Amino acid sequence: MTLPQNIKSHFPIFTHHPGLLYFDNAATTQRPQVVIEAIEKFYKEENANIHRGVYPLSARASQAYERVRAQVANFIGAANSKDVAFTSGTTDSINRVASGYLKKQLEEGDNIIISALAHHANLIPWQMLAEEKKAELRVISVDAQGNVDLNELLKKLDRRSRLLAITSISNSIGTLNPVAEMIDLAHRKGVPVLVDGAQSTGLYPLNVRTLGADFYTFSAHKMFGPFGVGVLYVRPRYQDQIKPIHFGGGMIKRVQFSKTEFLDFPKNQEAGTPNVAGVIGLGAAISFCEKLDQVQCAKHLKSLAAYAKEAFASIDGLHLVGQPKDYGGIVSFTMDQVHPHDLAQFLGEEGIAVRAGHHCTQPLLESMGLAATTRASFSIYNSTAEIDQMLEALKAIKKFWE
Amino acid sequence: MNPRLKNLYKEVILMHNAKPFHFQKMENEEGMIEANNPLCGDRFQFFLQEENGRITAAHFHGFGCAISKASASILTQKLEGKTRLEAQSLCAGFLGFIEGENREAISDQEIEAFAAVDEFPARKDCAILGWKAINDYLSK
Ligand SMILES: Cc1ncc(COP(=O)(O)O)c(C=O)c1O
Repeated sequence: MTLPQNIKSHFPIFTHHPGLLYFDNAATTQRPQVVIEAIEKFYKEENANIHRGVYPLSARASQAYERVRAQVANFIGAANSKDVAFTSGTTDSINRVASGYLKKQLEEGDNIIISALAHHANLIPWQMLAEEKKAELRVISVDAQGNVDLNELLKKLDRRSRLLAITSISNSIGTLNPVAEMIDLAHRKGVPVLVDGAQSTGLYPLNVRTLGADFYTFSAHKMFGPFGVGVLYVRPRYQDQIKPIHFGGGMIKRVQFSKTEFLDFPKNQEAGTPNVAGVIGLGAAISFCEKLDQVQCAKHLKSLAAYAKEAFASIDGLHLVGQPKDYGGIVSFTMDQVHPHDLAQFLGEEGIAVRAGHHCTQPLLESMGLAATTRASFSIYNSTAEIDQMLEALKAIKKFWE
Repeated sequence: MNPRLKNLYKEVILMHNAKPFHFQKMENEEGMIEANNPLCGDRFQFFLQEENGRITAAHFHGFGCAISKASASILTQKLEGKTRLEAQSLCAGFLGFIEGENREAISDQEIEAFAAVDEFPARKDCAILGWKAINDYLSK
């Protein structure tokens, strides 16, 4: 199956903004009608809190919530729905692994390994923890093109490494990392691996078990689902080692004034009333993605990026930032004489939505001698014709600023 | 260019962006004032020389968009020759202007050029980047 022809018509935003060229998908994707409807239907027809009431509405809401857990598990290749916790997003998921799991494991002199491509969400939690525990944060650098060096990873892994935290696709320069190989290298040294799948989940083939990920995180809003919901997958062997970091209702076996016994993972991660409607929306987003062919989607995104890179680079004075060997649908660039913000402002006035800034990867850009880039990030509803339009806009901008 | 953009990127702003005033890194590290916008990574350094409570020379350097660079350039130019007190009231006046206060009281073409950020609220931070840093420095 190739991509459905009329894919854009599934997204109401484009009915409301017919001329919109939405190239900020790495920040958040648009939502298809089915997701919006599922959330609205829940609030209109099915709303009740979960795991509380015995009346039919509550029981049905609880079932629907748990059905999405099973659906997520199946979609990402987990063996059991019990391997999947709902969180508020990737950032939340990563912080849970840092504070709920690694904090207990880490001793003075140990090390945590990340790559220079890390989003701040996959950097700061480790940096804070390393500082607190007098452990070392080791950073695998990237070459001038933006590729990680597997030899460097191999050199950095040692007896004192307690976690490798990596990113499937760099949200800033698009590098598609050899995640399976990196996991394999770490596992050979007995080091568990967290994969930040925020930029790839939904549109790229995924099986967390064949991949070998020990922790896998993603956000619903970057795969056509709602804001405020994310997932933390934990491989069974680590599940009894990840402790809750939030405490409250819905996560306990027995509470006494003197002590509390908690439920097992994943329930121990879901203190308080969860974002039930958000989880229902995530379920609808996954159903939407299940109808797509992930191999085709990945190809589509890469070919859009390849097309854009070639087109944009034809402009004199435009510089692509990062030319990684393998990449997703993300293109970062700078233009001589024009600051990324001004560039994005001009594009914005033409109905072209791009992002300007450091994209929450400040150290990476600094290492490349940059403070900011302009970034176009694509999704399934974007086309080469849209990129042609952006190319024309870029040419006009260059003319103005010369 | 559409009229909205033309209004934001006024001639004065483009001029100061292309040829910023005293855009130069200076030696006096201790007298350096940092202005930085954590959202976008834009960052300027200001270097003030002061004698007897008067700013005798001002320079700035760094990286930022046309709006922040032009506003920093205009600021640098206006700071020279002012007493600390005058400089402080200058900054407070500009910051108020961007927030829409006392618009009628200002009759300075270079400051008025920034009125269009009303239409682009996301760019207010760019316009005030340097002014806020200098204001904070002077109020210390
Ligand atoms: C690679 C990557 N990791 C983590 C995040 C953080 O995701 P969220 O803000 O949904 O928690 C993002 C989103 O910008 C991202 O692109």
